[in-house]
Amino acid sequence: MTEENTDRVQMQDVYKDYGTNHVIKDVNLNVKNNEVVVLIGPSGAGKSTVLRMINGLETTTKGHILIDGADISQPHVDINRIREKIGMVFQHFNLFPHMTVLENVILAPVELKKADKATATAEARKFLETVGLTEKADAMPASLSGGQQQRVAIARALAMHPDIMLFDEPTSALDPEMVGDVLQVMRQLAQQGMTMVIVTHEMGFAKEVADRVVFFDGGQILEQGTPTEIFDHPKEERTQSFLNKVLQA
Amino acid sequence: MQRKSFVTGLFVILAGLFLTLWSAKPAQAAEKHYTIGTDVTYAPFEFANEKNQYVGIDIDLMNAIAKTEGFTVTIKPVGFNAAVQALEAGQIDGVIAGMSITPERQEKFLMSKPYYNVGVVMAVKQGSKIKSLKQLKGQRVAIKTGTAAANYALSVKDKYGFTTVTFDDSNNMYQDVTTGNSVACFEDSPVMQYAINTGLKLSIVTKPANPTGYGFATNKKNTELMAQFNAGLKKLKANGQYTKILQKYLGTGSKKSQAAANKKTQETDRSFFGLLKANWGTLMGGLQETLLVTVVAIIFATIVGILVGLLGVLPNAFARGISITFIYIFRGLPLLVLALFIYTGVPSLIGAKVPAFLAGIITLTLNEGAYTAAFVKGGIEAVDVGQMEAARSLGLPFGKALRKVILPQGIRIMVPSFINQFIITLKDTSILSIIGILELTQSGKIIIARNMEGFKIWTMVALIYLVIITLLTWLSNWVQKKVQA
Ligand SMILES: Nc1ncnc2c1ncn2[C@@H]1O[C@H](COP(=O)(O)OP(=O)(O)OP(=O)(O)O)[C@@H](O)[C@H]1O
Ligand SMILES: [Mg+2]
Repeated sequence: MTEENTDRVQMQDVYKDYGTNHVIKDVNLNVKNNEVVVLIGPSGAGKSTVLRMINGLETTTKGHILIDGADISQPHVDINRIREKIGMVFQHFNLFPHMTVLENVILAPVELKKADKATATAEARKFLETVGLTEKADAMPASLSGGQQQRVAIARALAMHPDIMLFDEPTSALDPEMVGDVLQVMRQLAQQGMTMVIVTHEMGFAKEVADRVVFFDGGQILEQGTPTEIFDHPKEERTQSFLNKVLQA
Repeated sequence: MQRKSFVTGLFVILAGLFLTLWSAKPAQAAEKHYTIGTDVTYAPFEFANEKNQYVGIDIDLMNAIAKTEGFTVTIKPVGFNAAVQALEAGQIDGVIAGMSITPERQEKFLMSKPYYNVGVVMAVKQGSKIKSLKQLKGQRVAIKTGTAAANYALSVKDKYGFTTVTFDDSNNMYQDVTTGNSVACFEDSPVMQYAINTGLKLSIVTKPANPTGYGFATNKKNTELMAQFNAGLKKLKANGQYTKILQKYLGTGSKKSQAAANKKTQETDRSFFGLLKANWGTLMGGLQETLLVTVVAIIFATIVGILVGLLGVLPNAFARGISITFIYIFRGLPLLVLALFIYTGVPSLIGAKVPAFLAGIITLTLNEGAYTAAFVKGGIEAVDVGQMEAARSLGLPFGKALRKVILPQGIRIMVPSFINQFIITLKDTSILSIIGILELTQSGKIIIARNMEGFKIWTMVALIYLVIITLLTWLSNWVQKKVQA
């Protein structure tokens, strides 16, 4: 339905202030259909803020954000409908602790009448299978490892059939041996053509899946390009020093 | 400006509603009915007998006059000050409460011809060295608020150089003297005499001073009721009924005949268990009222608290403002002040009575509701913000996210506070005795006003509260385990 090369996300001259703290300064960023964009940059650069503005968790101070051409800051645009097609995965998973894994996954589809409970349950099991957690359907989130929780969170987001996915450092809170499973699930999504915006410090993974890498610093896009351009031939000195730091670690 | 006129409008509508409800009552053509306020603690003029019926000179006189003059009365023992305030506020039609006829009162109310003449006496602890006003220099004296005896004491205070301490209740005033905190108290002569004859360890050391008469009071417009009272009193005096009533409570003047008269209204067994047995019904009646008020108040306070608490977390500055203001005002006001304001203050504003029970429930609902709102709000805010973000990012609207994701987690955080609040509400009901609600504390006061057994009766009342609170705590712990399992 959406054609290749159309812009799914358009950020136009976007600014964000917290009081006198100018966190995002004149950012222009478009994400095309089926494109995988990876945001990198030092802590405090504003990567999370950009991601959260895309699905309206943060408002913009100035500028416009368009999702499939609809300006999300306009009052007549129903932000809830927009969010239904944008899945988000958080650094700290944010599973609902009072519900089982299965209940976590079916909550939104059932509440928003996307499916009746039986259909939603059947589908949820399918998504749990995709992330390799069929046997955990009736477990409580607290009894799962971090990596398992993050995969449940991905399944929960997928249950709404989003066609854009936002990932905010999905593996940063995980023990190293858990990281691979989560990245594997994300890799699969990328291969299936999901439009994705990913904030990560996993440079190897970024290199492998990204169509485009965007380097953020001080609330601005300093440089962007293909993985090869950014990782192998960075133009900016600050990109270079940032990459040196993370690649050494 | 707009908001203010909205509030005023709301008041007008409410007041109108009240008035319509009132006037909608079918007018009684046959007999006029009046509500008369009286004191709870003024034996032998008014007190509850051992069967917990209200008796006394005032009560019998009022009933006899109503009978001769052909009207009916409901006599409500709400306490002297509450009765006078209720009369001012138009909550009741008259007051008969051993009320001295003074020029100030005559200015405010219509007062009847005196139906009993008294003087003020000074009483000291038995065996005290103090025998006269002159010996009071530098000493502390107990008085009861708003009484003619108190006015007398205040008028001679500077001359004799003593200080005063004020009580709301005769028995508390007497106890202050028997415990030695104050060296003397001032009281109307027959009341003091009655208490001493009933076993109070005080003795009267002065001759009655400042003779005044007790009168019945109505508001200025109620000339009809006043005329009937005066006419009835005259008839009772003429036909001998008046003397009979006096003798029933005071005997024929001697200590012995007083003791004989007391027998008819007092417990015979004065041991702890004897008193417990004799007053069991009254105490349980009080407990029942306490539990009723508690349960009703908890229900309303919980509803109001949850609603106001939820307003406080809405993404809307106006809603949050309302919530914050509600919590600020009703958590800030002392419960006692709030109760008096609603019971005696509001009626003069809206021009309609607020029944004591309703006033009590409103008071507790506002106060406990404010506390509930505060911890409901706090409980919701204590849920990790990531939960709301995750729910919203799935496309759930705010309300659904709140209901399905935030509240179930918030409620677990709130459960201990809810239980705590229930226990506090139970205890806070005791404050409603001030507006005459016959709950456990008020029942205790009434029993003590008759038999002067403060220590034993307060012990009983305290034990009953402890038992109930223990039961409630067990129940709550059980519920808490269930919820948080
Ligand atoms: N709610 C907020 N109120 C005030 N300042 C905020 C808020 N959220 C973020 N900031 C500030 O905005 C700036 C950008 O934050 P952001 O979280 O977007 O950075 P980031 O690039 O995601 O960093 P990290 O790699 O540490 O996650 C930071 O300086 C941060 O302190
Ligand atoms: Mg971040």
